[in-house]
Amino acid sequence: MAAETPLDRAAAVGPVPRVPHLGVAPRGWAQVQRRALRWGLAPALTVLALVTLAPAIWLIVSSLTPLTPTRPGSLDFSQPWQNYEQAFTSPEFVRSVWVQVKLSLVTVVLQLLIGLGIALLLERPSRLLETVRTGFLIPMVLPPIVVALIWKVLYTPAISPLHSLAAFFGVPFHSLIANADTAIWAIAVADTWEWFPFTMLMALAALQMVPKEPQEAARIDGASAIQLFWYVKLPYIRGTLVVAVLFRLIDSIKAFPLIYILTDGGPGGATEVTNYYAFVQTFNFAYWGYGAAIAMLLVAGMFILSLFISRAGGGMMIDE
Amino acid sequence: MTSRPPKLRRRSLLTGAAAATGLLVLPGRASAQGGNKKLDGVTLHVACFSHTYSEFLRSYLPEFEQATGAKVTYETPAFPIYNQRMDIELSTGSAAHDVINVTFIYSGRWVGAGWTTPLDDFIKDHKKTPEDFDVADFLPGATAAFKDKQSRLHGIPWIADAQQAGATRYDLIEQAGFKQPDTFDAMSEMLKALKGKGGPAPFATENHYGWQFPPYLLAFGGLIFRQPPDDLHPMLDTPEAIHAAEFFSNMLREYGPDGVLSYTYDQVAQALKDGSINYSTNNETFLVRMAEPDSKVAKTCALSLMPAGPAGRFPNVASHGWGMPAAARNKDASWEFITWAMSKQLLLRMFDDKGYSSVTRASMIALPEFKQKLTINGFDGAQIYRDTLDLAGKGYTVYRTVPPYPPIDRELDIAIQNIVSQQMSAKEAMQRAQQNALRALQQAGIKL
Repeated sequence: MAAETPLDRAAAVGPVPRVPHLGVAPRGWAQVQRRALRWGLAPALTVLALVTLAPAIWLIVSSLTPLTPTRPGSLDFSQPWQNYEQAFTSPEFVRSVWVQVKLSLVTVVLQLLIGLGIALLLERPSRLLETVRTGFLIPMVLPPIVVALIWKVLYTPAISPLHSLAAFFGVPFHSLIANADTAIWAIAVADTWEWFPFTMLMALAALQMVPKEPQEAARIDGASAIQLFWYVKLPYIRGTLVVAVLFRLIDSIKAFPLIYILTDGGPGGATEVTNYYAFVQTFNFAYWGYGAAIAMLLVAGMFILSLFISRAGGGMMIDE
Repeated sequence: MTSRPPKLRRRSLLTGAAAATGLLVLPGRASAQGGNKKLDGVTLHVACFSHTYSEFLRSYLPEFEQATGAKVTYETPAFPIYNQRMDIELSTGSAAHDVINVTFIYSGRWVGAGWTTPLDDFIKDHKKTPEDFDVADFLPGATAAFKDKQSRLHGIPWIADAQQAGATRYDLIEQAGFKQPDTFDAMSEMLKALKGKGGPAPFATENHYGWQFPPYLLAFGGLIFRQPPDDLHPMLDTPEAIHAAEFFSNMLREYGPDGVLSYTYDQVAQALKDGSINYSTNNETFLVRMAEPDSKVAKTCALSLMPAGPAGRFPNVASHGWGMPAAARNKDASWEFITWAMSKQLLLRMFDDKGYSSVTRASMIALPEFKQKLTINGFDGAQIYRDTLDLAGKGYTVYRTVPPYPPIDRELDIAIQNIVSQQMSAKEAMQRAQQNALRALQQAGIKL
């Protein structure tokens, strides 16, 4: 008996419906499309899995163990929630979250207000203002360690021009970073100095996209500058500001160099944010499992916060 | 009283060095028959943290390569980076390095976990160790950190950072009617007298209190652990520990410069050189810099032993040494490098050529040249250094090298910061440190 050919098999199935214009069987074409999509995406998905997912999975897995390199056999899953329980019952962790909330809130609000304020001042087209804008960007493009060193000098009374100036004008003050009441605010000021250019840049870009017509109409109707900003410009730039806040919020939680150089988390833990707490636990004490659990809690917290802000921000976006 | 080291003259050492250099190109160490060198084709991966010593050593590496035929790749990252990297490498059984620095604060963990190689078999083997290497010449205070429970040595110390007391303006101290204080009481009285005289801030230490404070705690009769390394129950809330914390914090708060809590080791070192603080209990490597030519206080500085408390004198000594990872592939070649780097000849040349003075060999400390170099304004720095190492040789620094010490170190940092910044009383701060220490030790799997 002769071997069955594809044509024989097709004849047995009967006529298949044709796709108008193309003359291709829809099932076959869809399969080809799906296959092409899969093959096309495969390299990117492989890289994503290797670079992002594998470490993330390892983070989750190790957070369920008391893993430490100093104890053989510590990759032990017998008490998978102990790191999380320990975190929530640790006064240091709870305090670090509170310090983190304070720092994030203050820095993000300050950066938003200062960045937006300066953007409004620099909004007009002018060569001079363009130069000034570039000058404002300098803190943001400096390496974070350099920024930290600049503020270390400013906050060290023996060598600080800030302290010398204050003493000259008869208002001397004590070291800000060695005082538990002021250290976190000192960090917040340094962080704001470093990052307000980012919000400024975002706000400036958004302001330049605001259409001219409604602004002119408002002016003709006699709107003041404040009314113009509040009722015309702000609705247009809200979405961008929300994105800027989101970026800064995420970055504020990753705060590290300023704290490492200026206070090392002190005095007495007064500036130990959660990120820094995780660093100390993981790298100084080698509690890798516990550090991973803290990192997971940070990721979860950030995810929830981002979701909340982007939803809230989405609702505020102007419908163009 | 200290025991006298065996006499070793510089001339005889230099003669030895010349002979050793000759030997390097002779069959014993380097060349084999047919002109092949002993380590031809071998690449040694050597790592240490960035330090004056490790940079000095770099300039001599071509001599080792030429003599042995080995190729040396030499890495010297910054201290924290080196430690973190090596901690991970050693814990994962990596054979990436052949020779490593065994860092003092990690020695308990690395040696205790069996991540480094015991060197005793190499030391005993006369085919592998030159006769004049003389391990017994290394001071016990410097080698203590590298011994395991069976007293096997895992590192050959290249530095012993010894804690002493230094004054930048000894002239002001004398004017106030004092000498370098020998006890805490005398120190306290002196600082009180110096305060408000318009001179530099009377006192400061670096803000790593987990390092600076324990000598005070021990000198007041306190303990860090009940009986390290076997009984690691923390003892941070005993009356002695609380009293010591109160005393130490009070000195910082009352006599320290504004912002003393933020003074890092490099800031203190600089403040000592420019005379903006007067008196400090600090590491020898920082204190000797007061006498450097660019120091503003070179003519007025003074040195002495760390003052004693009611329970005695307990200066810190931190030593770092060359060792090999347990997984190192070519241990004979690694040992060849270590014996070369720590040979008397090379160390003497480093002292002569570069002025390297933090040596750990008794024979070198006894050299007249060494004594002369470390005598500062009439204060015999070499003897103070030697006496400090001898004190540490008693073994009280073992608390620092037990694997779970790092969290305790951090708790002491925080406790002293809390007291100085008046967030807590000494009692509250030390009780909190005790509770956290207990939790940290349990977390580390220590049975208490």
